[in-house]
Amino acid sequence: MGTILLATLVTAATAGVLAALLVLAERTLANYGPCTIDINQGARTLEVQGGKPLLATLMEQQIFIPSACGGRGTCAYCKVKVTAGGGPLIPTELTLLDDEEQKSDVRVSCQLKVRNDLAIEIPDELFRVRQFTGVVERIRDLTHDIKELRIRLVEPDTIDFTPGQYVQLEAPAYGPNPEPVYRAYSIASPPSDRSHVELIIRLAPGGICTTWVFTILKEGDEVRLNGPYGEFRLSDDPAREMVWIAGGSGMAPFWSIVRHMREQGIDRPCTYFFGAVARRDLFLIDELEQLASELPRFRFVPALSGATEGDGWTGEKGLITEVVDRHLADGADAEGYLCGSGGMIDAAVKVLAAKGIPEERIHYDKFT
Amino acid sequence: MKQSPAYRRVAERMAPGVLCRDGFLAPDRRRLEEILETDNSAVVGLGTTHQAIAARLQAVYDQARAGLGRHVEVGEGRSALWREAMGRIPCPWGGCGTFAKGEVELTNAATGETLRFTALGIHLVEAHGFYQGRGSRYRLEPAALARALGLPEEG
Repeated sequence: MGTILLATLVTAATAGVLAALLVLAERTLANYGPCTIDINQGARTLEVQGGKPLLATLMEQQIFIPSACGGRGTCAYCKVKVTAGGGPLIPTELTLLDDEEQKSDVRVSCQLKVRNDLAIEIPDELFRVRQFTGVVERIRDLTHDIKELRIRLVEPDTIDFTPGQYVQLEAPAYGPNPEPVYRAYSIASPPSDRSHVELIIRLAPGGICTTWVFTILKEGDEVRLNGPYGEFRLSDDPAREMVWIAGGSGMAPFWSIVRHMREQGIDRPCTYFFGAVARRDLFLIDELEQLASELPRFRFVPALSGATEGDGWTGEKGLITEVVDRHLADGADAEGYLCGSGGMIDAAVKVLAAKGIPEERIHYDKFT
Repeated sequence: MKQSPAYRRVAERMAPGVLCRDGFLAPDRRRLEEILETDNSAVVGLGTTHQAIAARLQAVYDQARAGLGRHVEVGEGRSALWREAMGRIPCPWGGCGTFAKGEVELTNAATGETLRFTALGIHLVEAHGFYQGRGSRYRLEPAALARALGLPEEG
C-alpha cells in the first residue's frame, strides 16, 4: 500500500515538473522577441511581439483578416500574401492552399507564426475593419426560416460602410460548439443608420451560427462582430440601368442599397427580381412595393417558383431566372447585381449574359 | 485496437462543433476505421464502387441545384429538392479544398426512403469511401443509397 502511494506521488510530482518546464519553454523558447510587420509596402508598420500566429497578432493590432473558424485552421478564409519573412510552408498550410496560391506567396495567417520581421500585403479595405460589441435590440421573424437581427452598436458605437458590404458575426461557444466561430452576413441596414447593424439570417440545417441565432440568442444579449468587408457595391455610373436578382437571405445587401438610394435621391433605373418558392418564403414585400412607389425608376418583381392554389399568388411565376428572361429584352446597356446561392448565381449569370450584359458588368455576392 | 494517428486526427475534425454543429460521426460510436471498412464491404457486396455512387450523386445534385428550391424529377419515382445555405466547409481529411454548403434531399417514392447529402458528402464518398456515421443527418447507408440511385444499373 505504501509503495503504491509513493509511486502515485512520484508520478504526480514528475507530471508537475514537466508541466512547469513546458510553461517555461513556451515563455522562453517560443518568445521570438520584437518583430516588425510591414503592411502594403509601408502603408502601415507594426511593432509586435513574435511568437503568435499572424492572424492573432494582426487582430491584437486591430487589423482583422476574415476568418470563419476563429483561427482553427479549418475554413481557409484568412489567407494573406507574405512577400518576405514567411519561411517555408508548414504542413497544415499545404492542405489549405492550392498550387497557384503556394507559388504566389499566399499563406494561411492562422497557421503562420510571427518569428521574425515580415512584409505582407492585404486589401486596403481591411484597414477600415473594426471589432464591435453590440446589443441585440430586436429579433424579428421575416419568414418561417429567416430572421432579422437589429443590433445596436456599443463599442465602437458607430459604423461606416458602403451598402453591399458584410460583417462577420461571432457565434460564441455553446452546447456542441466548443469555440467561437464567425459567419459572414451582408449588412441589411442603410449606412445612414450608423449606430445599428441589421442582418437577415436564414436557418441552415446543422449550422453552428444559425442554430445559435434561432435557438439561443435573445433580445438584450450582447454580441460581437467585425467589419465591414467586401467589394459588392453599386458602380459609379449613375445612368447605367441595373438588374438585381436575389433569393432568400440574398435580399440583405439590396435592402441596404435600395434604402440608401431613397435617402440619397439616387434615381437610377433598376428592376429588382426577387425569387422564392412559396408565398410563405416572401418577406419585406409591402416595404419594397412602397419604395417602388417612391423611386420613379425602381421596379420590384417578386416571383414564386412553386406557388400553390392556397398561396393565392397573382404575381410572376416560375424560376427567377425564367422571369428575368421574360422581362429583360435587351441588356446591352445594363449591369447585373446578384446575391444568393451558388446555383442561383450561376443560372442568373447565364441568363444575363444571353441578354447581352458583358461579364465585367455582372457583379455578384455568392454565398458559396 | 488503438486508432492510427492519421485517422485519429481526421476523427477529431469530424467531432461536433469543429467543422459543423453536429459533426460527421455522432451518434455512431464506432471508430472511423470500422465505419470505413464496414461501408466498403457493403458497397463491394452491392456490386458497385464508391466512384460510381459519387458520380450518380453528383448528377442528382446538379439537377436539384438547377431547380433552385423546387422539387425536380431525377429518375423514375425519384425526386430531389435543393436547399441553399451560405458558406463553404472543408473536408475533414484536409488538403481537399472547401465545398459549398447546402443540401439535397433525395426521395425514393417506391420505398418512401429519404436521403440527404451535400457537395462535401459526395466528395467524402468518392475520395475517401466515407458515408458518415449512422444516425448523423447526412448518413448515406450504402444499400438505401444504391436503391435510391438505381445502382447497380437497373434493367
